[in-house]
Amino acid sequence: MADADAGGEGLLAEAAAALVERTRLVDRAVADAAAKYLTPQLALPFAICAVGGYGRSELFPQSDIDLLVLTETEAGVAAMKEPLSQFLRVIWDGGLRASQSVRTTGECCRLHEQNIELHISLLDLRFVYGDARLFERLAAALPAFYQKQEARLTRELAEMAGKRHAKFNNTVYHLEPNIKDAPGGFRDIHLLHWLALLAQDKGRIREALDAIEGPRKFLTAVRCFLHRQSQRDNNLLGFELQDKITAFWLDGKAEPAEWMRLYYRHARQVFQAALRALEFAELRDPSIARQFRDWRERLSSSEFTVSHERIFLRNPANTLSTPANALALFTFAARHGMQLSWDAQRRITADGNLAAQFQSKPPPWSAWRELFSQPHVALALRQMQETGLLGAAIPHWHSVECLVVRDFYHRYTVDEHSIVAVEVIDQLGLKQDVSVRFRELLLQEEDRATLRLALLLHDVGKGTRPGDHVTGSLEAAADVFERLDVPPENRQTIKFLIAHHLDLSSVMTGRDLDDPATGRFLTSRIPTQEDLRRLALLTYADISAVNPTAMTPWRLEQLWRVYSSGQEQLTRELIANRIDREQGATVAANESPELALFLQGFPTRYLRTHTLAQVRRHFELDQKRQREGVAVSITQEAGTFLLTALASDQAGLFAKLCGALACKGMNILKAEASSNSHGCVLDLIRFSDPMRNLELNTDEVRRLEWTVECVLRDSLSVADLIKQRRSAPRPSSGSKIMPSVRFNNEASDDCTLIDFVGEDRPGLLYDMTSAISAVGCNIELVLVDTEAHKAIDVFYITREGGKLDEELAQSLLEELKRVAMPV
Amino acid sequence: MKKIEAIIQPYKLDEVRDALKNIGVDGLTISEVRGHGRQKGHKEVYRGMEYEVDLLPKIKLETVVPDARKDEVTRAISAAARTGKIGDGKIFVFDVAEAIRIRNDDSGELAL
Repeated sequence: MADADAGGEGLLAEAAAALVERTRLVDRAVADAAAKYLTPQLALPFAICAVGGYGRSELFPQSDIDLLVLTETEAGVAAMKEPLSQFLRVIWDGGLRASQSVRTTGECCRLHEQNIELHISLLDLRFVYGDARLFERLAAALPAFYQKQEARLTRELAEMAGKRHAKFNNTVYHLEPNIKDAPGGFRDIHLLHWLALLAQDKGRIREALDAIEGPRKFLTAVRCFLHRQSQRDNNLLGFELQDKITAFWLDGKAEPAEWMRLYYRHARQVFQAALRALEFAELRDPSIARQFRDWRERLSSSEFTVSHERIFLRNPANTLSTPANALALFTFAARHGMQLSWDAQRRITADGNLAAQFQSKPPPWSAWRELFSQPHVALALRQMQETGLLGAAIPHWHSVECLVVRDFYHRYTVDEHSIVAVEVIDQLGLKQDVSVRFRELLLQEEDRATLRLALLLHDVGKGTRPGDHVTGSLEAAADVFERLDVPPENRQTIKFLIAHHLDLSSVMTGRDLDDPATGRFLTSRIPTQEDLRRLALLTYADISAVNPTAMTPWRLEQLWRVYSSGQEQLTRELIANRIDREQGATVAANESPELALFLQGFPTRYLRTHTLAQVRRHFELDQKRQREGVAVSITQEAGTFLLTALASDQAGLFAKLCGALACKGMNILKAEASSNSHGCVLDLIRFSDPMRNLELNTDEVRRLEWTVECVLRDSLSVADLIKQRRSAPRPSSGSKIMPSVRFNNEASDDCTLIDFVGEDRPGLLYDMTSAISAVGCNIELVLVDTEAHKAIDVFYITREGGKLDEELAQSLLEELKRVAMPV
Repeated sequence: MKKIEAIIQPYKLDEVRDALKNIGVDGLTISEVRGHGRQKGHKEVYRGMEYEVDLLPKIKLETVVPDARKDEVTRAISAAARTGKIGDGKIFVFDVAEAIRIRNDDSGELAL
């Protein structure tokens, strides 16, 4: 890119000269017109002043000119009216678009609450023609006014800049950027210039302004080019103009995408300097509102100080000593939704050793998972990108940094699109005014870290394999898995999501969503409900990140219909699709032949949702079951416990397990129960221990295993255990959820499906499964989930080997509603 | 001149566009719309929460053709968009008083 810079040197020098020359010519035209049409007709003193861009002598080829006509008194303003219209007509006839205001010196030094722009424009006041003494009087009075209003005007400038940045989604990475108003554009240079003029202590802001002298010259040349090519005040650097400026600047020796990287590099410097100046201005703002916001200073830790919504390093040497420590800083930012201070960013960017360490030995997956699980991940990723650490940890990221891929719908560069997609997931988790249905899907997602990493990588292939970006992204992901030591189960999920990330979009518009064949098509590609849910969320984020209006209600509805169609078909197939002899043998190819027999008959979902190591563990437990009748194991995983129980099929088995856990005060979070062809039932129940009994007393885990074994062997009665149960805390009365129970006899060829949603409570599952067993029904398969106080259960049940008749179904429905009714 | 407006199923867009292209109709305006006719909407329950799905996604296709081509064009749209099921959509035909090409002021059928 050094060549790209060098290519435009001539243009840079010529552009700067052109601004000065145009200003000189306009000065002369204004002075001539004023001499001819104002001076002869006005007895009172007046002065014509240039303000705004014209005042800064920064007149681009098609820029408007802003004039202040200064008079001594109000009488002067009235007398000015007729001669001024003649003067302006001449100016307009001369091809200049002029805006003017007529004011007295007193007006200029009085705060206009509704016209702050006036005071900003007067910062660039310059004399052009007329009574120089009148101008001098104003010029002498203004510094005292600005000194008095410094805080107010600075705050107004900061707010205006914040709104302007938000309008462009706070990013410089637009495919067709507006080089004046977008972040990193001219308005940010002006912002620095105005803040420097206003500030009593100009040092820090001047320093920031000086640091962007190169980008300022670059943007000046680009804007001159745009004005000349468009023959109007056009500041939008569209694709056509990108082609033209690349041909002109680089003499056709590079692609427009390469020139655009040069643009983004300069714009990024300007944007960062503007943010730095705003940060400095905010630090000096004594307003009460600002102080109120500082309650977040309480978040300061031994490593980081929080001040004015920024994170400062308390011990830089330690924080930047290892990649893991540095990543903890970004995790802190992602947890609390706070920017790093300018000083922290500067230290990280300047620390070449840290970037080298990130590249050679990035932090382990556990640290990344912690980062990717926080609520404000996109904010942290942006800062990692700006400081160079994201590219250091994931070298393929460089291939999509600032990469323009021209597309009618896309608004951002590839890297920015990916980070915005992560941001969409962040927002879905944080905000209420988002799609309720997709928010509900996200609430079910336990592993948001994996989803977010998949989103970050899903388009990386656009930089490495432009014609086949899905393959390119999968290749890049394989490399990232090795670098970050991502566990096998997460790899499998990320690979699946990347490989299929275009599937749902294509089904949305390419298939009849009412046709059952569409559901079958989806399930032929998407094996489990968890995969479908994650893919729906990824597609939602991917579409939403195309541009701010891409996720129209139309697309939202279509995407949901696709999800529903797949979900319905997966539910239908859950019980029907079983592991056959061949599938079992394939999985057990390098294992013992008995493993293949063990697998035969379990739902195919079992293989997709368990790693080979987990399958082996279940198989070992099954061998114990064959010796001892039952096998029970309880393990602790990520703050919850997993009960794995294997037993021969028997009436009320699942109810007994639920009862045993409930009587010990355990809270069931998730459960799955299914059986193989040999009559072995595998129950997997994830539960929490609200009283921390298991955690604080290590023997209690073994004791609970023993209790469950006894219950399964019928040597202990659940009914007796329940009597000894202590009453557990219940949800508040304000959070009552009325039970909803639905039967479906169409969803499966052999079973009746019960879909239950209601208020969770300790023992609920036991009560429900007992009610099902009490009417002689057998639970063939069950999926249990919870969201806060809501229990969401799906049971596949049979009676005497077949579906329930209407009468029995109706009476069971009423009974389940009764037992699930909140108290 | 007639303006032909068709509301069709989203997944039928490519087929309809190809059918029109095959008979030489290239000028189209496509919009993503939502609505319902006899198909109406329905209530959907997902994990205990009830959602009103009263407006279903459709595609609106608009084209203006010379009077003489009206039947040919509507037949092509109808044949390509038809599945025989409720929800296939509708075609509406309007009289067009005038057409003007903005670029060069061509008017009438010349502007189509």
